[in-house]
Amino acid sequence: MRDAREVVREEPYFRDRLISLLAEGPMTVPELAAASGLPPEEVMRWLMGMRRYGRVAEEKEPTDDGYFRYAAVTRS
Amino acid sequence: MGYDTEYDALVIGSGIGGMESALKLGDMGYKVLVVEKEASIGGKMILLSKVFPTLDCASCISTPKMGATAHHPNVTVLTYSQVEHVQRRPDGGFRARVHSAPRFVDPARCTGCHLCEMACTVSVPDQFNGELVARHAAYIPFPQAVPQKALIERAGTSPCTFNCPAGIKAHGYVSLVRSGEYDKAYDLVLETTPLVGTLGRACYAPCEESCTRSSLEGPVPIRRLKRFIADRHGAARVGTDATDGRPGAAGAKRVAVVGSGPTGLTAAWLLARKGHRVHVLEAAPEAGGALRLGIPSYRLPVEVVEADIANLTAAGVEIETNHPVGDLGALREEGYDAVVVATGTPVPARLGVPGEATLEGVHSALGFLRDIKLGAAPDLSGQVVAVVGGGNVAIDTARSALRLGAGKVHMVCLEARPEMPAHEWEVAEALAEGVELHDTWGIAGFSGQDRVEGLQLQRCTSVLDEQGRFAPRFDEGTRQELPCTTVLVAIGMGADTAAFPDLAPDGARRFVVDPATHKTPVFGVFAAGDAVTGPATIAKAVGQGRKVAHMVDRWLTGRPLTGFVGPLPEVDRADVLARQHNFTRHRAHDAALRFAAVPDGFEELEGPLSEEEARAGAVDCLDCGVCSECHECVAACPADAIDFDMRATDTEVEVGSVVVATGYELFPAELKPNYGYGRYRNVVTGTQMERLLAPTRPFNTVLRPGDGKVPERIAYVMCTGSRDQTVGNPLCSKFCCMYSLKQNQLVMGALPLADVTVHYIDIRAAGKGYDEFFEQAKAMGTNFVKGRVSGISEKANGDLVLRYEDIDNGGRPAEAEYDLVVLAVGVTPNTGPAGLFQPGELAFDPYGYVAEVDEDFSPGATSIPGVFVAATASGPRDIPESILHAGAAAAQAAAYLEQNKKVPV
Repeated sequence: MRDAREVVREEPYFRDRLISLLAEGPMTVPELAAASGLPPEEVMRWLMGMRRYGRVAEEKEPTDDGYFRYAAVTRS
Repeated sequence: MGYDTEYDALVIGSGIGGMESALKLGDMGYKVLVVEKEASIGGKMILLSKVFPTLDCASCISTPKMGATAHHPNVTVLTYSQVEHVQRRPDGGFRARVHSAPRFVDPARCTGCHLCEMACTVSVPDQFNGELVARHAAYIPFPQAVPQKALIERAGTSPCTFNCPAGIKAHGYVSLVRSGEYDKAYDLVLETTPLVGTLGRACYAPCEESCTRSSLEGPVPIRRLKRFIADRHGAARVGTDATDGRPGAAGAKRVAVVGSGPTGLTAAWLLARKGHRVHVLEAAPEAGGALRLGIPSYRLPVEVVEADIANLTAAGVEIETNHPVGDLGALREEGYDAVVVATGTPVPARLGVPGEATLEGVHSALGFLRDIKLGAAPDLSGQVVAVVGGGNVAIDTARSALRLGAGKVHMVCLEARPEMPAHEWEVAEALAEGVELHDTWGIAGFSGQDRVEGLQLQRCTSVLDEQGRFAPRFDEGTRQELPCTTVLVAIGMGADTAAFPDLAPDGARRFVVDPATHKTPVFGVFAAGDAVTGPATIAKAVGQGRKVAHMVDRWLTGRPLTGFVGPLPEVDRADVLARQHNFTRHRAHDAALRFAAVPDGFEELEGPLSEEEARAGAVDCLDCGVCSECHECVAACPADAIDFDMRATDTEVEVGSVVVATGYELFPAELKPNYGYGRYRNVVTGTQMERLLAPTRPFNTVLRPGDGKVPERIAYVMCTGSRDQTVGNPLCSKFCCMYSLKQNQLVMGALPLADVTVHYIDIRAAGKGYDEFFEQAKAMGTNFVKGRVSGISEKANGDLVLRYEDIDNGGRPAEAEYDLVVLAVGVTPNTGPAGLFQPGELAFDPYGYVAEVDEDFSPGATSIPGVFVAATASGPRDIPESILHAGAAAAQAAAYLEQNKKVPV
């Protein structure tokens, strides 16, 4: 695994790519990782950072596989 | 050092123990000072989910204590502060030194609105969430923090910013580019200078030389990022909306800036942004000084300089060219309130060799370069050109001569190549283009009658004397003739002191100013730039312009000529590298230069970065100073609370007694490598699980950090780092069993379908209601497996395989597979208190905790009379025990104060 500090630092860089993918519809972390070609554990870190600052939000219930889908939040 | 203050007691640390001691002493009427190293009081308890065995909300219990501590009339709290030293006085009291780190946010103004945090462009792991999620460099520690005030994490000034002579927030604009905020990045540079595009091309980039990333695979392309944002900015937007003041407003002062080089333009720009009416007076037919008339277009295209100058004109600065100034006094009479002289170094130095002034074909390099930029370039077709000099101007001259068709270009300089003043990469580029270097040669004379036919060279044996002064020595027996048809002399340049003799009294070769204020001997006249410092880089000239603008503005507004606050100390690059366990090798950045064997034009050499290259380059930044100084928080803060000029303060306090309540450290789970913490994605610590279960959790629910899956099979590995001789910690940490049992129940509440298994040696549940709590966990369905876990391995999908000893089934080795593994980490001593006192003064027990001299009959008393230890600083304790022990320590301190009444109360 890459150093957490390094991964976290890159969130502003990958944010646009993840948001543009989520613009096509809500995705789980594995789905987003597959679509972006990025490691799921890193996508998870970035997504949770984006969630913290209101850029994405989860759907109410997880999928049958046990994953939540996340959607981009439209900012006014 | 701040003023002395007197307190009855100093409580070091504000966890539940420290708060309890402080409140008890405060309630008894003693004046208490609490010093907390974090930005909030509350310690570790406030970060817990719930407490055992009651399953009460930890926040609900902690926050009233935090509020009571912060608002108690007898308790003063200093957060983000550390006690550095405590010295016992002969009268039984103590003198302590407290270091308070700057928050860079004025707590009196901050409303806790989080807008600065939202705007911040730097992400770091959130230590208050077990580093499971990012926080920003501007932040409020956690939702229940006391005080609920923002702060900005700054480790110092990033090397790129610290080493920029212009004072540009290099890290700031890199951070903004990383975020895709190109216009904001451009505006950030405008806070310092209008010359964004110019510096993006022609600066020698000391920022990159100092970049910490250089020690990995190469620097962040900081200069080229500046060019990128300038190119993006383009001609459509010329900076009018970036002004913070309108020139010509009522009451505005009039300022004349003489000279339009980098110093003059920067000073004019910044003074205009302050609201002054600024006129730039330039003797040459074009504005820009050396930028416009000195630097060749292959390095700095004219249109780039013109675009930068357009920033000034858009902001209302009036620029008059062909306007030489000879009488500074007359400018004052014309109504200018202040004058800034920034005329640079336009006078070429001379060789002083016979024939230099009379022979046809001998020219100064400055005039040569100026003629090219003014469209009067000489035709050098077929000429053999000799450039004399070894600096960057000489390089520019030689390469320009090649572009004008010279058949051959020689460079002659006194220095050996490694000692040449020109940058090595510039020398290399010149040689790659075909320039022939003759180093360690001086000029003895010229050959030729009316027109130069050659240079007579003599070997230079040394350039500097023993004191490092320029004093070349020659071997006159070693001579050489260098045939040439044109000689261009580039051996230096100086200020035009003849034009302003009042500024260079007593034959000074530069303008004389007060170095602190830039005031000249002439009232109302300031000077700056190369004319004051001697020839320097563009960035240094910009820095001079920035400083003189600051001083002139203060002078015009009747304020003391101070307040030019320097940066925080430079971050130690070794410290930056030590923050990470590993580094990913990032992309190499192609210099993208185009060389031609015979260059035939002045087309720009260096290519631009694409947007993708720019962002990929910016993401390499290591955020050395943590905060990048991008100033987005300044723009976002509605209360004007951000203050980057805040600095640390040190205070000496006199206290009657000391309570050490510095708590414990968590066992670093990496020290059990067979459990894979830090390597396996879904192995977490018990503390991280507390955060996942807390109402203010980092994720939306309990999820695997590796892929966001809701875990269905969760294992607890007990005694991780406790009762373990292999890691040097034989002690039981006392509360891991109970917090694990608590988490078991909370997990089953949060995830009703989850199976929870505890791998344990034995469960220690001694305490009122504790064993019942254990039974409750079993009744809820927790599966208990007796036996040590020997190791964990990770599957490709992130699932984890535990290998363990199954004692209840004959002790056979067994394996089980889980979605998530929680390591019930224990505690280790906080060794911080050791450094607070004289070596050996404060005794520690064999395990490293602060020793109690008689823990049965005198709990809390230490080896130092008047110093008491509270709660987990003396050993592992759970919350009720910690509170009890902290109360005892407070009682001990009170008794000591009463016995020692002579100590000021």
